[in-house]
Amino acid sequence: MAKRVFIDFSRCIECRACEVACEREHGGRSFISVFEWEEMAAMAMNCRHCERAPCVEVCPTNALYRDDDGAVLLAPQKCIGCLMCGIVCPFGIPELDSLNKIMMKCDLCADRRAEGKLPACVETCPTDALSYGDFNEIQRRRRGRFTRETIELTKKAEGFGLLQP
Amino acid sequence: MAERIPVVCPYCGVGCRLYVLSEDGYPVNVDYADDIPGIPNEGGKLCPKGNAVLEYIKAKDRLRRPLKAKEEGKFVEISWSEAIKEVAERLGSYAKDDPNQLMFFGSARTFNEPNYLIQKLARMLGTNNVDHCARLCHSSTVSGLKAVFGAGAMSNTYRDIEEADCIIVWGHNYAETHPVGFRYVLKAKDHGAKLIVVDPRRTKTAWFADLHLQLYPGTDIALANAMMHVIIRENLYDRDFVFRRCTGFEEVARTVEKYDPERVEEITGVPAGLIEEAATTFATAGRGVITWAMGLTQHTHGHDNVRALATLSAICGYQGREGCGVAPMRGQNNVQGACDLGVLPNVFPGYQAVTDEERRKWFEGFWGRELSGEVGYTVMEAAHAIEKGKVRGYYIMGENPVISDANSNRLLRALRKLDFLVLQDIVPTPTMEFADIVLPAAAMLENEGSLTNTERRVQWSFRAIEPPGEARPDWWIIGEIGKALGFDSSGSGGFSYSDASDVLREINACTPQYRGITPERLRRNLAGIHWPCPSEDHPGTRFLYRERFLTDDGKAHLAAVEHRGPVETPDEEYPLMLTTVRYVGQYHTLTMTGRSPSLMKRWPMPYVEINPADAAKIGVRSGEWVIIETRRGSYAARARVTGTIKEGVVAVPWHWGANVLTNDALDPVAKIPETKACACRLRKASEEEARKVLDSLPAPVPGGE
Repeated sequence: MAKRVFIDFSRCIECRACEVACEREHGGRSFISVFEWEEMAAMAMNCRHCERAPCVEVCPTNALYRDDDGAVLLAPQKCIGCLMCGIVCPFGIPELDSLNKIMMKCDLCADRRAEGKLPACVETCPTDALSYGDFNEIQRRRRGRFTRETIELTKKAEGFGLLQP
Repeated sequence: MAERIPVVCPYCGVGCRLYVLSEDGYPVNVDYADDIPGIPNEGGKLCPKGNAVLEYIKAKDRLRRPLKAKEEGKFVEISWSEAIKEVAERLGSYAKDDPNQLMFFGSARTFNEPNYLIQKLARMLGTNNVDHCARLCHSSTVSGLKAVFGAGAMSNTYRDIEEADCIIVWGHNYAETHPVGFRYVLKAKDHGAKLIVVDPRRTKTAWFADLHLQLYPGTDIALANAMMHVIIRENLYDRDFVFRRCTGFEEVARTVEKYDPERVEEITGVPAGLIEEAATTFATAGRGVITWAMGLTQHTHGHDNVRALATLSAICGYQGREGCGVAPMRGQNNVQGACDLGVLPNVFPGYQAVTDEERRKWFEGFWGRELSGEVGYTVMEAAHAIEKGKVRGYYIMGENPVISDANSNRLLRALRKLDFLVLQDIVPTPTMEFADIVLPAAAMLENEGSLTNTERRVQWSFRAIEPPGEARPDWWIIGEIGKALGFDSSGSGGFSYSDASDVLREINACTPQYRGITPERLRRNLAGIHWPCPSEDHPGTRFLYRERFLTDDGKAHLAAVEHRGPVETPDEEYPLMLTTVRYVGQYHTLTMTGRSPSLMKRWPMPYVEINPADAAKIGVRSGEWVIIETRRGSYAARARVTGTIKEGVVAVPWHWGANVLTNDALDPVAKIPETKACACRLRKASEEEARKVLDSLPAPVPGGE
């Protein structure tokens, strides 16, 4: 099953460690960005590696492809820098590398994954606002947490006698 | 194949572990220490600064050779032997005349070993004039906690924060200043803990708060007293704990009686209902932790602020057990260590008072010299003593007072008057302008030694990188100077060491808290050991005060303190209150982060935060330039108009030199300057005007942008 970066923006402190880590791992370019909302919250955004990725569909030279982990990668030697992937991406992810005249995007830290490591943004995130794993498994864990909290709250309420008929 | 060398992050007091991947002494990358259990940064987590640690190491302007000033700010290269000889001769001649003409600065930015050595050097020369930047950040914590509980340190660990049921974060932008530490606050919230944030700004920390008490700067005691008022009135305090383990409760109860929430609402600007709710939430939580940082300590009443919070914690019975305690959060990765090892003018290593005849005699025997029993100058007092001609020579190891000291214009004038300044650092700083001799030091990752994080955890950092040019480890430099001054015997009476481990063994011998923290143990155990650790088979101490407090009678000395505001309050001429802040991606005086492209790119300049109502009065919008003026100086920055700051208050980050504005009035006990509150005024300015103001100030990164 494909693994993804899950974003729990309720834990994001806008420290931008993910950006700095990404930049270090990718030769001075960060492929993840943190945005603040109304001075009240923040959220990191990187490539979603979509299941039905419009960028892969539209690429005229098949430069965009999917690796064994399900990450959408770019083969630089095939890319012609036509920008189409960037145009169809609903999140505005692919950017133009004007020096090399090709597109560039998040590769889910292919080099680190090859060594059995997590993507750098996830590995560094101080508050676990970013996590990496099978999406459905992450959702299952979230459901589990919700039920635990519900039971705990109910138990506390029982202690106060609120649930007695 | 690159070697993977475990180091401690050279930035804040969390003391995160990471690996440097090093090839023949050249750093190729960092890696996360997710495979070491029990470290302060669980899972190897790092903040943006931790991710960028290799950038400043590779800075082009690293100091490579000793320098001698021909005239102010103009240097020629000299050899190490010339430099050591000259420094030793000058220090020796001042010491012969009157050792109190000398002032030594240790550094929270370097290891325990050189810190131990610099205070040993000062004391063997006959003076207790030795201090370091803790004076500017947590001296009030050290004095305040010592007065109440008997030890000036965090009483607990990150694990206790994680296990707490209620956490008060007071004057501490936890999420921004210690992002990795804030992880444990969020983990506590995961199991239902309540978070109460006390801050004049709605900080990133306050985003996560259940209750945010937005007080006016400098009204902390009133607020703490009001909380205690509610807790005592509602009978929510821990009677048994207070009876068994505290003294002074009656006086506290009498004092806080007049601080009813309604009255305190007028002083602090915090709604009375919110004060009631915060007090009840904290007192009934079961396990409570209070953390604080500069917003609490940097006041002329910092010592009393700390005593008030310590008392609040104690009356709730939140001491000496898991998930409880007080957690002053340290700003540098070794500020705790520098304090522990006596880089303070009133204590020998291990907080043994210089005025204690018996302890002094012991150290006289240990170091083989007669020692002074007179308490020395603190950082700010020394600067004021230069003006009076009492201090003539400074030895600064790894500090940058021109940016970090309050009222920096006054300091600049003082430094110009100084006869002789030795500066030991890794890069040129604005302070170097005034130096006579500059000694190039190896940076933390180029060096090995022990470091003590904010949790009293001592960790060993290994040497991962080859230092540039002729830069040398701090312990070596001070050792050479000590030997050149004639302290060349072997053993604890001299400065003959073969490596940092040697120095740590001497520390083990004279510092009770560090007795069992040997270099061998630290090298084996990467997660480190929490002091006190009285013997080699002792596992270290997670939290203090389980059985008794470290005061003489073993009880907590509760403090009844009256509210007093900042010494300078807004008036007609200067109608606003100024406070200083930090950014997550910048660090202190920019010596390191200012040379880190990935951080400078994201946090390029300071912004003055202004409430929309105050901004409207001077007609300024976000992005426009403003000039801030106080009775001491002027500073310029672009405005950020924001509702996150209280009306009547403006905030400016101090990294770029805003201490030209701040007040150097001192706390009478802790001698900490009041950098967190002073009166100021604002006016809109053109870019040209603003640049003129900034050009007249020292550049934080000389030769840089």
